[in-house]
Amino acid sequence: MSPTRTPIQALEAKLNARWKNITGARELSAQIRSTLRQDIAGLDSDDSSVVISGSLARDEFTSGSDIDWTLLIDGQADPNIIDILPHIQEAVSRAAAKPPGREGTFGTMAFSHDLIHQIGGEDDTNRNTTRRILLLLESSAVGRPDAYERVIKSVLRRYINEDDGFRRGSGKYHVPRFLQNDFARYWRTMAVDFAYKRRSRFGRGAAIRNFKLRMSRKLIYVSGLLTCFSCELQINANPRLFPCPAPGGSPECVACLRDFLRLTPLEILATTLLAFPHLDATALSLFTSYDQFLGMLADQGTRDHLENLLPDPDPSDTTWCEARRITHEFRNSLLELFFDEKSRLYDLTKMYGVF
Amino acid sequence: MRTVGFSTGALAFGDFRRALNMLRPYDTRAVELSALRQPELGPLTAASNDLDLSQFSYVAVHAPSNVDIDAERQVVRYLLELAAKGWPIVVHPDAIRDYALWRAFGDLLCVENMDKRKPIGRTVEELTSVFEKLPDASLCLDLGHARQVDATMTEAYLIAKVYESKIRQVHVSEVNTCSKHDRLSFSSIRAFQLVSELIPESVPLIIESVIEGWEIPDELRRVEEALPTAIGVI
Repeated sequence: MSPTRTPIQALEAKLNARWKNITGARELSAQIRSTLRQDIAGLDSDDSSVVISGSLARDEFTSGSDIDWTLLIDGQADPNIIDILPHIQEAVSRAAAKPPGREGTFGTMAFSHDLIHQIGGEDDTNRNTTRRILLLLESSAVGRPDAYERVIKSVLRRYINEDDGFRRGSGKYHVPRFLQNDFARYWRTMAVDFAYKRRSRFGRGAAIRNFKLRMSRKLIYVSGLLTCFSCELQINANPRLFPCPAPGGSPECVACLRDFLRLTPLEILATTLLAFPHLDATALSLFTSYDQFLGMLADQGTRDHLENLLPDPDPSDTTWCEARRITHEFRNSLLELFFDEKSRLYDLTKMYGVF
Repeated sequence: MRTVGFSTGALAFGDFRRALNMLRPYDTRAVELSALRQPELGPLTAASNDLDLSQFSYVAVHAPSNVDIDAERQVVRYLLELAAKGWPIVVHPDAIRDYALWRAFGDLLCVENMDKRKPIGRTVEELTSVFEKLPDASLCLDLGHARQVDATMTEAYLIAKVYESKIRQVHVSEVNTCSKHDRLSFSSIRAFQLVSELIPESVPLIIESVIEGWEIPDELRRVEEALPTAIGVI
């Protein structure tokens, strides 16, 4: 166990709360990542990183979770590199019985050039957008991080250097709008894709996907928004080396954002809430509901029940009702947070979250 | 006006005399005598009093990049002889085993930031842990290495900003994906321009691009373009 308290642990102690499911998921995630690290040792290199995303990267892994992984390549082309994939899959299968999602976004290779150069436009496919945004918001390198770190910094540099308003400080607020727009676009994409999957899979698994959309997927967007707002609100209390030079300091901004994004989405949320003590009640409600969400996913019977629910669940189904109650509490608390005037989140939400 | 010159190793590998002859026609005022391979150090030390270095206002020595564990004391002895002339000694941090031996150089020891293959010395944090063990040492900022580690030049920028007062010299070249030093490309020129204003004009630039003699003027022009204050070198 790390002796340093995470922002979640700090918030938990401050609120005198006990989020056992969040703690349990974090500990299981660390254990699985450690096992994976040992199992894939030697498969990666300074030009290729094994990158995980999803619940394992978010520290929210439960016994029923799958492992989304990608071999991220940033280096000389090597025709033999494909031979590594089965070995990674083997290691992943030992750690999690459930295979990665069926969209084919994970469990394969991804190349740095697409992620860095194809932001927007025809060639920025749904898959490419997903990989890029998840790389920023919920990913972690298991093993050698060299390629992974290079790609993340290059992607961030594009968002920062090509955002004239942010660099020149011409707007009222110091918020990276290009980056924020892409986070917002991805959130809407996830929401639209939910409807697509419900239709294409004839409703199978729609209930649990809806549950996740309203909780963990929404949390990803929340952490993206808060990351962008953190520049204006100076939430990052520990910038890597320098105080925020806003505007104009592009290398500092890339370094600062990179470090902020090392936090998991829940840690970003906790870091923000720790900065605004008047929102303690909101914090308690947000984290308690999220803890309950993870508790339901960690319980195999409940998870199986949610996975097998019909497209239009019976309104009297107690498990479904409890899931919906949790999502409503989470949503309402988020609305309280983002429309809070004292923290100035209201101003930023109005300016960036609407148009 | 910057002082610009070449590494003898880039021009002629271990044949420093040939490299010095290649540089005679050009008004380069800096040189780095390369003993990148351990066996090259003895001959370089022996020859150091006889070399005609009159055209250079700045002379440095590149220590071997790989030092046998039982040869470290002898290597340091040779290098101390060269440092006694006031020549900075450029060293790769991963070549150092016994830090106490290397502290004897004081600020003439010039620690170089590393390429992506090396386990230490690549980032600000990794350099900080080296400078904690060698508090008086100075820095050789290798722009090619820094760009290879981080193409956005964020790391180079941070290194230059944090260790501005330690920068004694700068290595300039492109470092390709195979970690070989190459001629500056359009992309590396653009990348180096991003940090050029952080490099004090008084800091000498040592070109490490592996080139033929006839390519010297063109490479000097590229360096001038990459680090725009580098004027009047030819």
